[in-house]
Amino acid sequence: MSFNGSKDLVEEGDVVILYIAPSNMHSLEVTPKTLNKKGILVENVFQTVYGALKVASLVGAKYGAKVDLSRGWAYVLQPTSDLWTLTLPHRTQIIYTPDISNIVYLMELEPGDTVIETGTGSGSLSHALINAIKPHGHLYTFDFHEQRVSVADIEFKKHGLERYVTVEQRDVCQTGFGDALEGKANAIFLDLPHPWLTIEHATRCFRKSGGRLCSFSPCIEQVQRTCEKLMSAGFIEIKTIECLQRELTVQYKTVPVLKLECLKSKHTDDNRNENNGKEVGGLERLVTVSHAHSLPGHTGYITIATLPPIGRRSC
Amino acid sequence: MNELDAEVVKVGDYVVVQRQNYYKLHKVTANGNLLLGKDQLEMSSIIGRPMWTTYKMEAKVTGKRLYTLLETKEVESLSKDLKSVLPSGLDNRSIIDDGTSQQLSTEDIVGLREAGKSSKEIVGKLIENSKTFQNKTEYSQAKYLKKKEKKYFEYITIRKPTIRLIQDIYFRMDHQKISSLRMDTLAQLLSYSGVNADGLYMVYDSGSQGLPASAMLHRIGAGTNGKLIHMHPGNIPQRTLIQAMNFPEEQLRRMLTVNIYSLIRMYYQGTEQFLEVSKYKAKSDTLNVECIVLESNDTDFTEDVANPKVPKAEAEVKAEGITEDNSSNRAVNSFESKGLKRKLKDAPSHEPPKKPKWLIETQEAVEIMKVTKADGLAIIAKEHPLNIIKGLLPFLGISRPFVIYHSSREPLQETYVALKQRSDVINLRLFANFLRSHQVLPDRTHPDILMSDTGGYLLYGYLVD
Repeated sequence: MSFNGSKDLVEEGDVVILYIAPSNMHSLEVTPKTLNKKGILVENVFQTVYGALKVASLVGAKYGAKVDLSRGWAYVLQPTSDLWTLTLPHRTQIIYTPDISNIVYLMELEPGDTVIETGTGSGSLSHALINAIKPHGHLYTFDFHEQRVSVADIEFKKHGLERYVTVEQRDVCQTGFGDALEGKANAIFLDLPHPWLTIEHATRCFRKSGGRLCSFSPCIEQVQRTCEKLMSAGFIEIKTIECLQRELTVQYKTVPVLKLECLKSKHTDDNRNENNGKEVGGLERLVTVSHAHSLPGHTGYITIATLPPIGRRSC
Repeated sequence: MNELDAEVVKVGDYVVVQRQNYYKLHKVTANGNLLLGKDQLEMSSIIGRPMWTTYKMEAKVTGKRLYTLLETKEVESLSKDLKSVLPSGLDNRSIIDDGTSQQLSTEDIVGLREAGKSSKEIVGKLIENSKTFQNKTEYSQAKYLKKKEKKYFEYITIRKPTIRLIQDIYFRMDHQKISSLRMDTLAQLLSYSGVNADGLYMVYDSGSQGLPASAMLHRIGAGTNGKLIHMHPGNIPQRTLIQAMNFPEEQLRRMLTVNIYSLIRMYYQGTEQFLEVSKYKAKSDTLNVECIVLESNDTDFTEDVANPKVPKAEAEVKAEGITEDNSSNRAVNSFESKGLKRKLKDAPSHEPPKKPKWLIETQEAVEIMKVTKADGLAIIAKEHPLNIIKGLLPFLGISRPFVIYHSSREPLQETYVALKQRSDVINLRLFANFLRSHQVLPDRTHPDILMSDTGGYLLYGYLVD
């Protein structure tokens, strides 16, 4: 229940983030017992590179507190949507915070909005969407994969978010979003192999006042077909962007400095001997950054469009 | 929530005026005019009409570019109407640029316009009198028409301001006015600050027209419990883009706008001590009671803020520069903020017993900060951010994120190094973004020719025990 509002203390049943390093974080559910591989209930012990953690010992700890591992320490954090995205169990490819930020921003979400998402996938974006529209908004999220739907449903319940979300198994390309959602949404998000097949269904789900539709696709061909469809369906302000986040590693760099000025005049012998005959000026210590040698060069294209209110649409 | 026709334009509201791909922010007044390029528009006819209404610009006096607005449902599209009827060439081998392809002179064209011809007529004439138009390829014709359409487009649409639209307007117009906050950077700033409808958030902003605070207040939402403490370094907060969002009063009340010096001093020294300093200074300087608070005794804050990197005098000049910049900028409501400034200056001398608003808000903020730690902190600084984050971290809750934006990398590098040495800050990361937009058209898809490289830098981390 640790996803719905700030908490000070860890309670049983919470999902917490165990922080060891920026690239070494884990999400875990605080339960005293867990099922092992053989399906037998055993004590819940979490293994890290710095040794084991008895998960039950977290109950009552302050969020943000240091916790002891058998060979080191870690911090226990309350999940934010960013931390959750970095630690959630992957069932599919997921969308990460840089893209999520743009999606939420470009869909112009605010508390109270009704949003449709498809597909649910691993629920990375779903958590961010819920975060943006709660407490009086609602997310309807669809996936055609039965198991993903049921796991996501359980996850939302465990996270205390079930009030804000409805998960349903449905192939929206085939059957649309259902009559119940017609005229309900102010934002619709598509992450599908064939997003262009759902545009007509999606258009029907927008409110009379219109809204924003966002589609996330890795391939430019998908984008082209989607944009064409959006144009003919009366969408305006159709834009496609891609955004890459580059991490900069701050570091000290020591660089030698050559002394060339002194070569212009004759030097004493003593001086030359000291430097083994070379003219060395010394070292300078700088704070600078290094760039990643290899990084994601492409995630996906974000296509975003506005559907004007009824009566102002061109189609 | 907002069904069609529910939202009509009222005097005092801000609207976004859209003319094709050009957007402009406008404050609605009873008899206001809007300058759109070289065209003067009489805006009074939009009052009482719903948002999203489209108007045709009708020349009021033939020969002058003064227009009244006529509500319309039909929008003539040049590219669709003119292009389909004309033949086109296969390639550009026969097109020579000798400057004579257009037979009409500039005077002729201006004459057409002054005669009150419609854009379709003008562009039709332009095409008729172009030797080369029919030899251009279909794509090239489309491009030509699009360019002309942009110039002669006679329709505007009134839109409700959104964060996306106002950021876009300012970023295109003068990106430095909003600290060069690019769309993707602002989006990430909002994500990493963790701001949502629930909790207490703090934002320090030294000169982005209030954009970050406005965006955070938008995420906090109407009819929720979230609160925002908006800190600024000068005498008068920049609020243009907060006002531009037409937030309901209830939502605005959950944002406390305070001067950062006053806030920190009052928090550590108490209200009485704080007022004594102000009163004492007020005697020696009757000119401006408000700013005294910011300009004196920087040394007795806290240990953390005691060593400002920027010399004090310089910092003051800077702060003033920012305010001046604000008042002199030609943003829509510059006259209004001037009015506000005058009011603030006059207030203490006319009615001394009444507590000024800034004092009430500062006290309120201090009371909140004494009992509640913030759930997220965002800093958008023109100054060196190190002392600001050091000064504000004590008010952030543990296990909560902070994010700092700066348009230059070096101050964030130094801040990174300093924070890294503390044992209570984790997950420190420094980012820069690459943002590119694409033209997507059948057989003509490619990245846009122009992109922005002024995305700035974000430093992000969590506070722990």
